[in-house]
Order: sequence, then structure tokens, then C-alpha cells
Amino acid sequence: MNKQLLLTAVTMLLAGTAQAQERDATSIVRDAVNHWRGLSSDAVMTMVIHRPDWERTMTMRAWTKGDDRSLVRVLEPTKDRGNGTLTDDNSMWSFSPKVNRVIKIPSSMMGQSWMGSDFSNKDVARADDIVDQYDHRILGVEEADGVTIYEIESIPHEDAAVVWGREVLSIRDDHVVTTHRFYDQDGELVKTLTSLEIGEMGGRTIALRQRMSKEETPEEWTEIAVESVDYDIDLPDSLFTLSNLRNPRE
Amino acid sequence: MHMLAVLSRLAWRNLWRNHRRTLIMLLAIILGTWAMIFMTALMRGMVSQMVADGISSLPGHVQVHHPDFRDDPSVANLINVPDSEIAERFNAANFRQWASRVRVPAVITSEYDSRGVTLVGVDPALEDGLTFVDYREVEGRFLESADDKGVVIGRKLADILNTEVGKRIVLMSQDPDNEIADRGFRVVGLFTASVKAFEEQFVFAGKTTTQNMLRIGDQVSEIAVLGDDYRDVEAEFQKTLELINDGVTVQRWTEVDRFLGTMLGVMDGFVLVWIVVIFLALSFGLVNTLVMAVFERVREIGLMLALGMRPKDILGQIILESLLLLAIGLALGSALAWATVQPIRDGIDLSMVSEGMEMMGVSSVLVPELLLSDVVLANVVVLILGFFASLSPAWRAAQYEPIEAITKV
Repeated sequence: MNKQLLLTAVTMLLAGTAQAQERDATSIVRDAVNHWRGLSSDAVMTMVIHRPDWERTMTMRAWTKGDDRSLVRVLEPTKDRGNGTLTDDNSMWSFSPKVNRVIKIPSSMMGQSWMGSDFSNKDVARADDIVDQYDHRILGVEEADGVTIYEIESIPHEDAAVVWGREVLSIRDDHVVTTHRFYDQDGELVKTLTSLEIGEMGGRTIALRQRMSKEETPEEWTEIAVESVDYDIDLPDSLFTLSNLRNPRE
Repeated sequence: MHMLAVLSRLAWRNLWRNHRRTLIMLLAIILGTWAMIFMTALMRGMVSQMVADGISSLPGHVQVHHPDFRDDPSVANLINVPDSEIAERFNAANFRQWASRVRVPAVITSEYDSRGVTLVGVDPALEDGLTFVDYREVEGRFLESADDKGVVIGRKLADILNTEVGKRIVLMSQDPDNEIADRGFRVVGLFTASVKAFEEQFVFAGKTTTQNMLRIGDQVSEIAVLGDDYRDVEAEFQKTLELINDGVTVQRWTEVDRFLGTMLGVMDGFVLVWIVVIFLALSFGLVNTLVMAVFERVREIGLMLALGMRPKDILGQIILESLLLLAIGLALGSALAWATVQPIRDGIDLSMVSEGMEMMGVSSVLVPELLLSDVVLANVVVLILGFFASLSPAWRAAQYEPIEAITKV
């Protein structure tokens, strides 16, 4: 009788811990996403698209506000200057001054590459889906160089519009994501987003340089480096409008 | 009447006086008839297959759409009658089979690739036997109900996407407000189709699930009605017109796919042309045979005329001779054609050239289709044209002057 009671108590305790852990995992991921984006942000970034036979560098400025609004505008090279991408909720528009047209990215193109990089339009427009369309679980905790790194496995919900079997994120206790691995449904690693450089900028510790590379083609990668960033600044709502995408007012 | 019997006997005997020449001519007629009927059967089979495959890609002999759906088959052009009401009306109408479906362009994405496809939201209970997918041939399973959360894709598409039964894929499309509508689905089945292109093009999901994903409530984009015979769908067409006429277009399949519809019509004309062409080749041999037969018997014909046989009987005798020859040839030729169709009536496997055949939209088994009407047509056309072809030598024989003919050396 006593034994049974003890067993029940232990089971309940274990279940309780598991639950607490799950909640923890989700909040770790949410904190990481929030940390990266802030309430609002204004950043200048450099994107390097590398292929075995060529390489291309672009500098752009990106603004974000809240969870779902962002605007990216290319500064360099000159021939691409003014190309912009606006996202609002799940929709995405692009503007090119050469054709002077705002184009809404149709659903059929969401899976395609964004500005020729290894990121898809979807990666850009819906980066925060990772929080609520997945079940998160802590795989392990490890200490390295004085920081704690949580390894979190995120499995998409059955009806989530995500093709990955699972994603594994390594998140430091200061909310910096060190690696983000995408696995297919057989458990094979397909692509990895790695933080190559972590440092302080805009008053936060963030990943300064990140690289997206595919397992099948290790020679091809895209790197995004943050040149400067300001967090939690006051950005007008008018910044994230189609007219501003077309006619920059700044 | 007595005269006809005498003439027939004369014609029959004359026919076998030079039996070698007659046999050769007979052989030519038999071969010609065989070619007419056998090749027609093959071509009929090919066209039928093409039409059947074509119809099966847009199943339903009579179809109902939004008026603009044909030009823009998007989610914006839905039938503006709720599906439940459609079901009520059509169930009461005693069709052989009918189904309503959602049909939109979509993008299917796996971890490795993405493809443009046609997403068809179906109610599997209504579609069984209507669609080109054989439920029992599906690897895994077909959808089980209209709100099945799974998706059934073609085997070829699965290869391209590097996915398989049990894995998840994402389908992306647009809702009526042009917002992205997407959802993850688990692949529950892989279908095979006789036309490989269908395996790449069509993706089946539950109708209700698709409606929810596209946020279109209880609306559908297509109603399809199956008739008993695809050649005659007029009854179903009229009945459908009566059932639903609120701002929709009702079309027969011949209008939905004009190419196929036209082809079926052209085929009948083509059979006739084919028969006439073969006959033209045959007729040179036939006329030549008769001319020779007449030439050999000039003196004999002169004697008959001198003894009092009337020219029109000479005419009749020669024509009878030619018709007898044709009749025997036609009978044997038709029998031969029938006999060659029998062993292959289940179809000829053309899988070794299947890639080329698919480019024409034809599946790789060719089933010959021997129609009685084609056999009758070939026989009648040959007899009638043969009659006219033999008129000229017979006419010449009947015009001989008896004295000249008898004394001809």
C-alpha cells in the first residue's frame, strides 16, 4: 500500500516536472524570438550569398515592429538599391524601383528563395511561427564557456504549414540562438542556421553573424551579418505601409 | 427471275474459269477489307482511350461551374449555391452518379521540393468510380471521408517531392481574399494513374478539410454528373440544367474539352475516308481484272449476243461477276479482321513505347474496338463503289456489235 502511494507520488511528480519543462521550453523559444526582434528594431545588415563560382554581397536596412510587421530595403549594391520587402501578418509584398511596381508575393512563391538567398520568402515572412505552431521540448542542457545552452526540440503541429519533421534549436540562457537545425521527416539534417559570431550590439547580446547552409550543398551558403542595430525605438505605423514601400520617406 | 438465276450461274462459272487470277484478286480484296476493319478498330480503340482518359482527368460527363471558372479556375469563382443545397437537389434527381468538389491551383511543398498542382477537395463516398483513381489500387489508403485530414498524391509526385506515405507535406493556396491559405497534411495514400501526367498534377484532400483551409465555408467549385454513355449525355445535361440555373454554366464534356469532343466527331469521318482510300487502291485491281475477263471473252460475248441475249443481260452478268468476287472477298476479309481482333481484345501492351504514347495523352494499353457499324460501313461502301467501278467494263462488253465480236481474232 505504502509502496503504491509512493509510486503514485513519484509518477505525479515526474509528470509535473515534464509539464513544467514543456512550458519552459516554449517560453525559452519565445524569449529567444522576442530577444532577437525586440518590441521594435532598426538594423543595418549585410547579406552574403555564396556559391561555388560566385559571391554576392548586399547591404540592407531592416525595421521590425511587434510580431508581424517588418520592412527590408536594399541599400547596396547600387543596382539593387531601393528593392524592398514588406511583411504584415502572413502577407508579403515586394517592390522594385526598376519596374516601379509593388507585387504581392503569391502563396505559390512563398517557398521560393528570398532575394536569391538560401532563405525562403516564408522564412522571412513567418519567422515567429516557430513559437505557436510547434510543440517544444528540452532535449538537454549543457554548460560551455560559462553560459548555459538549452537544446530544444520543436516538432510542428499536425496541421501546421511546416514541412520539417523537427527542428532543433540551441539557445543560450541569454536568449541567443546558437544553432537552428532543420531535420526532414526521416530525421536527416537538411539545413542549419548557425551563429558564427555572438557579441554585444544595440544594448543586447545577439548573434552578429549567422550562416544558413544546406547539408546537400555545403559549398552554398548565405550569411547575414548585423552591422548596427537599435532596439525598442519608436517606429511610426506609417513605416509599414505599401505607400512607404513604394516611396520611402526618411 | 429465271434470267437472274441463269446469269448468276454464268457469272459464277466465269469467275472460276481463270481461277488463278480470281484468287489473286480475292486475296487483294480480303487484305483490303481486313485492313479497313482491323485498322479502324485499332484507331477507334485509341481514340476511345484518349477520350476516356481525357474525360477521367475532368471526371463527369456534365459539369457545372461558375461562369468564369473555365478562364480562371481559382477560388474566387465558386458556385454560389451552398453545397448542402446542391446535395439535396442532386440526390433527389436519380443520377447514375454525381459529385461536387473543390478544385483550386495549389503549391505542394516537402522538405526538398515544391510543385504546382491542382488540389481537388473530394467527398470519397461520392467519387468512387467517378475519378480515375482506383481506391483499391492506392498504396496506403484513399481518403475515408470528406473531413479526412490526410492527403492522397500521385506516386510520381511523391518521387519528385521525395516523400512517402506517413510523411507530412504542406499545401498552399489562396483564400477568396487573396490571403495565403495553407495547412500541413499527412500523406495517407499514393495513387497510380494510367496517364502518368495525372500522378504529377492531382492532389486529393477531404472536401470539408479543403473548404476549411481555403475559408470558403460550404461552397464548391465544380459539380460533375456521370451519364451512362459518354457519347450521349443529353438527358443528364437537360436534367442538370433544370436542377441548377442560378448564375452557373452547365456544360457537356464535349464543351468542357472541345479538343476531345471534336476528335470523337472527326473520327467517324476519318473512318469513311480510310475505307474509301483503301477501296481506291483496290478498284484499280478490280477494274483491271474485269477488263481482262471481258477482253478474253469478246468472241463468246459476240456469240451470246448473236444468239439473242440482250445487252443488258451481258451488263448484268459482268456486274454480277464483280459483285460476287467482292462479296466473297468482303466476307472472308471481315471474318479475318474479326479473327485477328479476338486474341487482342483485352488490349495490346504498348508499355515499351509508353513515354511517347503519354505525350499524346494515351495510356499504354491499346484496346481495339470493333464496331458492327464500322464493319457494315466498310462492306456497304465497297459493294456500292465496286458496283460503279465495274460499270465501265460491263458497259463496254454490252456495247459490242455481235458480228464484229464474233469475227474478232
